[in-house]
Amino acid sequence: MRRLLFCLLVAGVATFGFARGAAAYPQFQFSSGTNKCSQCHFAPAGGGLISSWGRSEAGDTISMAGDGAFLHGAVSLPSWFAAGADLRLAATRTADGGDQSPQSAWFPMQADLYARFALGDQFSVYLEGGARGEARPVDGSVTGHLFSDLGNRFISREHYLMWRPSATGPYARIGRFYAPYGLRFVEHIFFIRRYAGSELYNETYTASGGYVSDEWELHLSAFTPPPTSFPDALSSLGARESGGAGYFEYRFNGMSALAAQARVGIGKEESRYQGGAVGKLWIEKAKLLFLGEADYIIQNFSAASYTQNQFVSYLGFTYFPVRGVMIGPAYERFQENLAVSGTGRNAYDLEINIFPYAHFEVVLFGRYMQVGTQGQPAATLMMAQLHYYL
Amino acid sequence: MHNPPMFSGRGLFLVAVAAAAIGCGGTTDERPPRWSFISPAITEPSCATVNCHSAIAQRGGVDLHNRDAGYDSLKTRAFVNPAEPDSSPVIFLMHAQGSIRMPPDQPLPEVDIQLIRTWIANGANND
Repeated sequence: MRRLLFCLLVAGVATFGFARGAAAYPQFQFSSGTNKCSQCHFAPAGGGLISSWGRSEAGDTISMAGDGAFLHGAVSLPSWFAAGADLRLAATRTADGGDQSPQSAWFPMQADLYARFALGDQFSVYLEGGARGEARPVDGSVTGHLFSDLGNRFISREHYLMWRPSATGPYARIGRFYAPYGLRFVEHIFFIRRYAGSELYNETYTASGGYVSDEWELHLSAFTPPPTSFPDALSSLGARESGGAGYFEYRFNGMSALAAQARVGIGKEESRYQGGAVGKLWIEKAKLLFLGEADYIIQNFSAASYTQNQFVSYLGFTYFPVRGVMIGPAYERFQENLAVSGTGRNAYDLEINIFPYAHFEVVLFGRYMQVGTQGQPAATLMMAQLHYYL
Repeated sequence: MHNPPMFSGRGLFLVAVAAAAIGCGGTTDERPPRWSFISPAITEPSCATVNCHSAIAQRGGVDLHNRDAGYDSLKTRAFVNPAEPDSSPVIFLMHAQGSIRMPPDQPLPEVDIQLIRTWIANGANND
């Protein structure tokens, strides 16, 4: 027990770093032999803390070697308790053709601590806490520090109570988390995350229920932003919308899936009505996983008496050449206003993830983005990450 | 571990793939050059991200997280100059002239910058 407490203390101290989005890797659905996200995650729609099955997959299937268990298997947690953490350090180089381009930076990107408590066989409590990331040094005139005070950046993005009597079947949960919708990659800069309702730290207070089976899953959610009176650690830091979302996914033969989704978000300044589709296809022989998402968004601005239509999409594939390595090129498109020429954005991404040993990940990411019409300078991003999960 | 390669929904998947590649625009910009549109449509999603000009970060003392806060920041910090819209500091920032580009990670389309310029030229009101 003393060893366990020490380990949790270390994780807790490490968490006074920099939180990012709840980690989800849709690239592992089908490719790792699991056909649904909740097979490896406690959350019914995936993301966040991984279960004992997920830890086993992390060591045996995803990484080149090692033990994916909590603290590399050095400690066995009681069955009613699960814990974990994510730590990331990143270095970036951006170039956009401006007078002071290119620019380089390094920064602690994420430190999240997770805990899940089982309350009997059917209920559980999930808690997450960390500190907001800080990609760029703060203006010295504001705080006088390279990075702002850690205490001011504490945030709990996810905390919820869940009823889930078995791994498959019905479930319900209430608390703070993203309403299930779309491909929720780790990379929050992807257009489908940034412009479709799951931008970084935009978790809402949500009541969600649904059904998960081997062949299909359905998630229905109602959400609202935290009251403005809540402390910063529990506040919504982005768009403030209330509404609902639905996601239905049907899987074919354990190697592909199609999903339909819809979301309505009503805000004070703007409202969004959106719907779309998600496709996933695993080709075992070629070790290729294709992932695609397309959404159509109707955005209304009542004060300006104006409505615009948007389109956002992602299309990519991930190649698994050897165990522990995945290579993923992708194309993204965001059309800010379908009626106005020159408001489109194209991004071409290449991401290489290397898992040399269980609990360790190296990420190399490159992005080339074209904005607007020809003649505007392109923007490039090169990023390297070191990721450790407890 | 996996079943034989048989995919009954392949056609639908290809439709989804094709849909992911579309997206084009018209030729005229009829969007209102008003702050009630520009703030929620352009500056909030592009500039009020959590590490930059959100209510909690307020980089450089600039808070663009909603219409009123954004308007106050731009006016009180003199980022807009209705008398000479092209010399407005916010226009220089968005064009990366003499400074890092704003927003630094994802430049705004030129038509969005021109819409903001028109709003400034019209008096930069909280309309």
